[in-house]
Amino acid sequence: MSTRKNKHTVISLIILLAVSLWCLSPFVWMGITSFKPQGTEFRIPVEYWPQEPTLENYRTVLGPRFAIHRSLVNSIIVASGALILGLAMSTAAAYAISRLRFRYRYPALLFTQVGGMVPPIIVIAPIFVMMRAAGLLSTHWAMILPNAAFDIPLSTWLITSYFTNIPFEIEEAAVLDGAGPVRRIISIMVPAAAPGIFSAGILAFLGTWGEFMLAMTVSLGQRSVETVPVTILSLSRMFELQWTWVAAGTVITLIPLTAGVLIFQRVIVSGLTASAVKH
Amino acid sequence: MTARRDETRSGLLLMIPAAAALILFTYYPIAQTLIYSFFDLDLTTDWLSADFIGLRNYLDVMQSNQFWYTFAFTLGFTVVTVLIDLALGMLFALASFYVVPRMRGILRSVLIIPWAIPEVIQASMWRWMLNSDVGPVGDILVRTGLVQEPPLFLVDQALAMGSIVFAYSWKGASITAFFLMGGLALIPSSVIESAKVDGAGALRRFFSITLPMVMPTVFVAVMYRSRSAIRVFDIVYGLTGGGPGNATDTMSSFAYKYYFQFTQFGRGSAYAVVTFLLVAAVSVYYIWQVKHRFQYRD
Repeated sequence: MSTRKNKHTVISLIILLAVSLWCLSPFVWMGITSFKPQGTEFRIPVEYWPQEPTLENYRTVLGPRFAIHRSLVNSIIVASGALILGLAMSTAAAYAISRLRFRYRYPALLFTQVGGMVPPIIVIAPIFVMMRAAGLLSTHWAMILPNAAFDIPLSTWLITSYFTNIPFEIEEAAVLDGAGPVRRIISIMVPAAAPGIFSAGILAFLGTWGEFMLAMTVSLGQRSVETVPVTILSLSRMFELQWTWVAAGTVITLIPLTAGVLIFQRVIVSGLTASAVKH
Repeated sequence: MTARRDETRSGLLLMIPAAAALILFTYYPIAQTLIYSFFDLDLTTDWLSADFIGLRNYLDVMQSNQFWYTFAFTLGFTVVTVLIDLALGMLFALASFYVVPRMRGILRSVLIIPWAIPEVIQASMWRWMLNSDVGPVGDILVRTGLVQEPPLFLVDQALAMGSIVFAYSWKGASITAFFLMGGLALIPSSVIESAKVDGAGALRRFFSITLPMVMPTVFVAVMYRSRSAIRVFDIVYGLTGGGPGNATDTMSSFAYKYYFQFTQFGRGSAYAVVTFLLVAAVSVYYIWQVKHRFQYRD
């Protein structure tokens, strides 16, 4: 019996190692590269461990020339801005769809959901022209506003399904007090559906964080507004021979993201699976 | 009756912000792109002063070999990545149930990481991993004696196609695994146990019990992944830039080149419209199938 159990543990360990190798190797390789002195990353034979480990690359990318932390700040501004606007609009829409008896609730749901199936390539050129006309190119707003709209389909879906499960009775007292829909949403529904709104918020935040096509198009190479994905890609394009810098930049920007994802893992997975099973 | 009218009024009022945002950044741009596609338009001119050329952009597009090549590549890419996503995702999902309980949590945490990294950053990571001089993938292949010279992953046409598929499935397998874990968890363990008692082997159990029972989830995963794969942009743009030549350009990345590199908004719009129609076809099929298949559950 115990040998069988041991065998199971050993096989499990092998599986775990294989999966980790598959999932983590690019990340680990970036980490190793980031500690090599600049120029030695092209040494042949390939060094699988930095011979003279250094923190110089981190100093470089955080220094005045690259200021990678500025991209992190930009990403945080854009993703949080889009998150706040998107959640506010989605919560209002979800309330209308799930709690009010009005004739257009099904068309309203459809209207929000069809928007989520649209590939970005078909909206990118008109949005670029729109932002140019509004004088918003190379500003955070050019990314915040469209991303807030892109958040709506998924957030509305998730929040609607939470709202539907809240008993109508808890609103009754507030209705008798004469509270309007906006007050009922803020003081009753939002606290009651907090976990759902939270999970919608995390997915919205991650969606904007990883968004690339729009961010690249409207930032016009302006480092002061560029988000992380745009900066990392342009670094890797600009410095074909300085991969230690690219690696250090990648590691710095991925650490906070990965930490966040691991902390909120459960919320993310449940939100994602719910989002795919729409009907 | 007045209460009902009141609810309709507040309902519509509450919908206004979301509806306005969606119209402004989704529905109106779709209409605008459609209009652009009928004009001879470049990046800087206003479409109102551009020449209306009817279906010329579409005719030109249809007559170019590049279009049909890109179209075929996008579809082929979608089919192959979805199949790989499914196969690897299923392996990962089964593995997560097989491993001893105290490793399960770690396994899932590891699996979520490829999904979480922004796609274009993945592209840059893979570009370094697949570097033909000092990339570890090529180096390990040489060291193990599988090849003589490190393969030119991003320069050779066939290898570049393979690299794009591989990099995209690296992320896709993870997310597919999480979908399938949800489906597998719904299978009552008594069904599997009784098959074990009947003496069915592991493969037999998988193909005649597990797979049929998890089919609805497989369907959802296939639809979800094919919709993303048809519109793929980031990984192509970041990993090969569509190269060598235009060998790995997809509909989206090619449309993007027309927009912002050749600055031909009209022609690019025609490409974008075709991409949109492809995604829409998959989505409509999906909605139709879901209605058709899952009706009995209501």
